[in-house]
Amino acid sequence: MNEIAMDEPSRSFSLARVPGVAWILGVLLIGFTAFSRDFLTGPNLHNIGLQSVILLILALPQTMIIMTEGVDIAMGAVLTLASVMLAWVLVHNGSLPLALAAALATGLMFGLANGMLVALLKMPPFVVTLGTMGVAQGLALIVTDGQSIVVNSDALQAVYGGSLAGMPLPLLIAVAVYAFSHVLLYHTRFGTYVFALGGNAEALKLAGIRANAYLIGVYVLGGLMAGLAALILTARMSSGHPTSAIGMEFDAIAAVVVGGTSFEHGKGWLFGTLLGVVAVGVLRNGLNLLAIPSSAQVACIGLLVIVALFIDGLKGKQ
Amino acid sequence: MNQDTVPLLELRGISKTFPGVKALDDVSFSVYPGEVHMLIGENGAGKSSLMKVLCGAYTADAGQFYSKGEPVDIRSPADARKFGIAVIFQEFSLVPYLDIAQNIFLGREFRGSIPGIIDHARMHSEARKILDLLGLELSTRTLVHELGVAQQQMVEIAKALSQHARILVMDEPTAALSDRETERLFAMIRQLQAEGVAIIYISHRMAEVFAMGDRITVLRDGKKVGSKLPGEATPDELVRMMVGRNVDMTYARSFGTSEGEMILEVKNLHAVNGIKGISLNVRRGEIVGLSGLVGAGRTEVARAIFGADKVTAGEIRLFGKLHQGAPDKAVRAGIALIPESRKAEGLALIRTVCDNLMLPGLGKAFPNRLYKASKARKIARELIDRLRISTPSSFRAVQVLSGGNQQKVVIGKWLSSDSKFFIVDEPTRGIDVGAKAEIFALIDELVRQGVGVLMISSELSEIVHVCDRAYVMRDGRIAGHLAREELSEENILRMGMHHE
Repeated sequence: MNEIAMDEPSRSFSLARVPGVAWILGVLLIGFTAFSRDFLTGPNLHNIGLQSVILLILALPQTMIIMTEGVDIAMGAVLTLASVMLAWVLVHNGSLPLALAAALATGLMFGLANGMLVALLKMPPFVVTLGTMGVAQGLALIVTDGQSIVVNSDALQAVYGGSLAGMPLPLLIAVAVYAFSHVLLYHTRFGTYVFALGGNAEALKLAGIRANAYLIGVYVLGGLMAGLAALILTARMSSGHPTSAIGMEFDAIAAVVVGGTSFEHGKGWLFGTLLGVVAVGVLRNGLNLLAIPSSAQVACIGLLVIVALFIDGLKGKQ
Repeated sequence: MNQDTVPLLELRGISKTFPGVKALDDVSFSVYPGEVHMLIGENGAGKSSLMKVLCGAYTADAGQFYSKGEPVDIRSPADARKFGIAVIFQEFSLVPYLDIAQNIFLGREFRGSIPGIIDHARMHSEARKILDLLGLELSTRTLVHELGVAQQQMVEIAKALSQHARILVMDEPTAALSDRETERLFAMIRQLQAEGVAIIYISHRMAEVFAMGDRITVLRDGKKVGSKLPGEATPDELVRMMVGRNVDMTYARSFGTSEGEMILEVKNLHAVNGIKGISLNVRRGEIVGLSGLVGAGRTEVARAIFGADKVTAGEIRLFGKLHQGAPDKAVRAGIALIPESRKAEGLALIRTVCDNLMLPGLGKAFPNRLYKASKARKIARELIDRLRISTPSSFRAVQVLSGGNQQKVVIGKWLSSDSKFFIVDEPTRGIDVGAKAEIFALIDELVRQGVGVLMISSELSEIVHVCDRAYVMRDGRIAGHLAREELSEENILRMGMHHE
């Protein structure tokens, strides 16, 4: 080693330090503004915000799961099942708090199952959550018999349509979830150990920490957030539908990866995920305005992931 | 040092067995307050195992710990910490995307006034104090992955210091440090000594063993050979204590006399993996050893020659022709690499013996690119017989074979492609004694058929018994060359340990 190695890494600002997702977001905003007159309008931006709420609530815990070198592809299916359970309880009982509790309990159970299989049985996260995805999806179909459960609840309507101090309730919930996630990841032991689980799990064990408990905790958080997202999803559709959130995990994982979180070394950041969610939301909304069919939109999101990784890869080489 | 006081920590009769290896065999060991106790021994002598037992990462099968004369149990890292034992690991226990302060206090975060929230301000100010002690001017908010190896080593040291340990265990702490940083570390150690901290210091460098040690303990084959005071031992004496590993068998080897044609010639090779100015050559019909202590850069030389790591300067000549490029070019040029981790890099474990054996030779066996199972099976059977691979059939999955037979498959698969130059990296790792002899017989047979072999081994006795001659590496460079008549474990250790 020599003297040069002891220099502090540069902290100064340069274009190369701007994350790939910010470039992409900039290009998307300029592009859609140029091609669609309706894009850069108050009501449309409001719309993008509302549509991105569910995605954000899924993508934040997904960021932490991916940071532990795991993944949860069951999130969309668990969200669907939780939504169906919520609608079912609401129809049969009428109590919104009880219905929300049922949704959260559904998420908790699946999170616990995922986490325990991954942490204790050392099964690959992809395979575990592929399995639980099938289970959740199947249960959703069984509970509903393949039909929508339509809910007529003023309380539920108020969740999606209501506002507080001029802010729509779903956006407030999203802000609260982001703030909670930020504090959790950057200011608590739990968050510190999330970085360590992916970065150097051995170091965590040598420090005398029960690493498995934290690994299970990350998946439980994912399940609970899927349960919370079910509240907004069910309110938005005024029903619980057995295929309502199929494929949502794809958008969530895409947003996380686009935001610069890596599947290796415990590298990740929540603000990047927020930008990634906005990028996916802007892309979907812009393509809608341009009347591009939703099947083609999925292909575009796939391309978005590849472009983002490509830009970050270019910067990594420098 | 005060010999009259009770030892701060004493180990009596510690043993630890892993399947096939007795890592520690009845080792007794003690440290006194304010003492620097040097621990030396060749590769695999048991130093690292002893350290892992000390820090609670391994649980000893037998033996007892005593802390200040009282029997105690150390069964987990938490136990070790309770008795004031802190370890500076050689393989870093750092988390890349946490900052320096978070790494220093990993698992011991300060609780703030709000329940559940870490007191970052206090953590950074405490970390600052420790970095200042070590003379590190880095910001405590720097993420560890942005640091160089030397800086990471310093953070590792800071982490151990922050635990206010009574017993500090260091595993080759200076391996990655510059002279200036080493001096700083030594000054730090002397200060800790004065405060009554006991230090267990594993070293591969003779100079620092004598400069820093109050007592020197030598391990060999998991056993304690003896302890010496620096005043009553010479470096030569210590080297003699370290060598003389029991060789349970003689390796079959027929040494040639005539000088063969030059197969590989490497001149002044530098590579991104840290090797510097490597020059060596291998002739037809000889086994050339590449020796040195773990971490000296032996595997890196192999990877650079094979094209797996990027070469930045120098040249490689194969049969006189300039060679460069990726592994696929190396294979076509006739180089075979038999990697250290055969399960990860050398074999498709779930595939059959036949599939594995045929892999590199497919192009040659089936020139018209159509696979014929009967022909593949025939070639595989010939190889199985020739290599005496013990398998019920050529269709058995490789993963069910013993380590020795797996290794034969790895070597055999290159025979099907007619390779002319073999690099074998730790060919006998994890292989039992009987199978070792067969592996060496096989390598010997290869050599007699006219190939050249570069053999990397951490077992000094293997190098001495099997090789025609050997290069010894140290810190990424060739430290010296030993001809057949100079080849001895003592000479290798002397060259490998900064002591001429």
